[in-house]
Order: sequence, then C-alpha cells, then structure tokens
Amino acid sequence: MSPLEDAGACFALEGELDAFTGPELREQLGQALAAGMCRLLVDLSGVEYMDSVGLGILVGMAKRAAEAGGGLAVVGPRDNVRRVFDVSGTRELLNVVDSLQDAQSRLGPATQTGEEG
Amino acid sequence: MSAADAGVIEMKVPCDPRFLSVVRLAVAGAAARAGLAVAEIDDVKVAISEACTNVIDHAFVGPAASASATFTVRINVGEGELRLEVLDEGAGFDPKHLPAATVENAAERERGLGVFLMQGLMDEVKIESAPGSGTRVLLVKRQAR
Repeated sequence: MSPLEDAGACFALEGELDAFTGPELREQLGQALAAGMCRLLVDLSGVEYMDSVGLGILVGMAKRAAEAGGGLAVVGPRDNVRRVFDVSGTRELLNVVDSLQDAQSRLGPATQTGEEG
Repeated sequence: MSAADAGVIEMKVPCDPRFLSVVRLAVAGAAARAGLAVAEIDDVKVAISEACTNVIDHAFVGPAASASATFTVRINVGEGELRLEVLDEGAGFDPKHLPAATVENAAERERGLGVFLMQGLMDEVKIESAPGSGTRVLLVKRQAR
C-alpha cells in the first residue's frame, strides 16, 4: 500500500483548476467523502493554475472532511498556486505542505484506508 | 486612433467557462508586453479569471439569462502597467451588498473569495454596477519598481 492509499483518498491533479475544470474536482472529492473517506490528500504539484474556484472547493471539502472526523491536506503546490493560498490566508486551514510525509503527519496516523476491505 | 487607444485590445467573450483559459492566455501575453514580471503575470491571470468567472456565474442568470450572452474584456497595454476592464450588460448588482469574503462563508458556499483575491493580487480594483445596468470591473497591475 502506498502512503497515499494509507491516508484515505488521494487526488493527484494536473493542468488548470478553474470554473471549467472545478466541477470535476468537486464531484470526485464529494464522492470520496460520501463513501466514508474523510482523510483527503490533494496533490497539486501537477497543477499549473488555480483560482478562487479551486480554492473554494478545497475550503468547502476541508470543512466537510473535518466534520466527518478527518481532514484535508494540500501537497506540493507550485509558487503561483501557493500564492493563492497565501493571499487568501488559507495555508494553515488547508494544511498546505511540501511532501506527502508532511501531509500525513498533519492529518495524523491513518485509521482506515480508502479501499473497501 | 488617439494615443490613449494605441495599446488597446478588445475581446468579445462567450459566457462559457471553457473560454476562461483563452482569456488568461491573451491577458498573460499582454501583461508580458507591458513589461510585468513572471510572478506579476501570474497574479494578473488569477484576477482576470475571477472577474470573468463572476460574469459567467452571475451576470446572465434569471430574467437576464441568454444562451448567446457575451461580455467584453478590454486590455490596455501601457509601459509597465496593464489595465483590464471586464464589461457586461447583465443583471448587475449593488456592490454594497456583496457577501462578506470570509473563509467561513467560502466553506459554506464553496465560492466567494474571488473579489477578495482580486484585491489582494492587483494594485487597483474598481467594481461599478447597479441592478439592471450591467457591471464594469477595472483591474490595474503595475510593474514593481
């Protein structure tokens, strides 16, 4: 099992995250939460662009994950994406970190996996 | 053409989020032409997207809805300064009644941080609107000295 699976559900995103592509992310994260996966890792290292649409989805899902007893962490955003977190003051709330190891330590030890078993 | 119009590019954009990346690309090119640095161009890309996303989400809803709705992006390429205008003839709103841009509100609505980001990323942001009169958003970014 990879560190990612161990944390619940991991989403490695690529490309641009805006009002056109955001709905897909919202659906995927929403499905994971609905399936009982409340520990969400969102790997943004492959994302070249993000605006308030992506930010809003992440903030909303982080709240829902926390309410379900888990949390959400954002891993490895590029400088321009990191700036969106910094300017909006959401870096702590969204557990923005550089590595998967950091993300896991933020979310605590895994108690369940995202896989059925 | 007056000197003031010498560096003006105007785009008519369909109200469809598919074209947000096209607007960003054009505006990024203009920002580079204005002499802005890479990090400044990144800021401009987010700000113009926020303004356009707001038009797409809000300007042509309800009684103002139209499948063929468009809006205008006007780019003024200055020396060390980029001025952007986003103009729509949609429903308009009272700028005094924008919901508070807080992370708590954003968590509920999964939206609402766009104007806040624009203000944080640009040197100047002006929003002019009134119910029934459309909306004009002015965004200015200047080269750091």
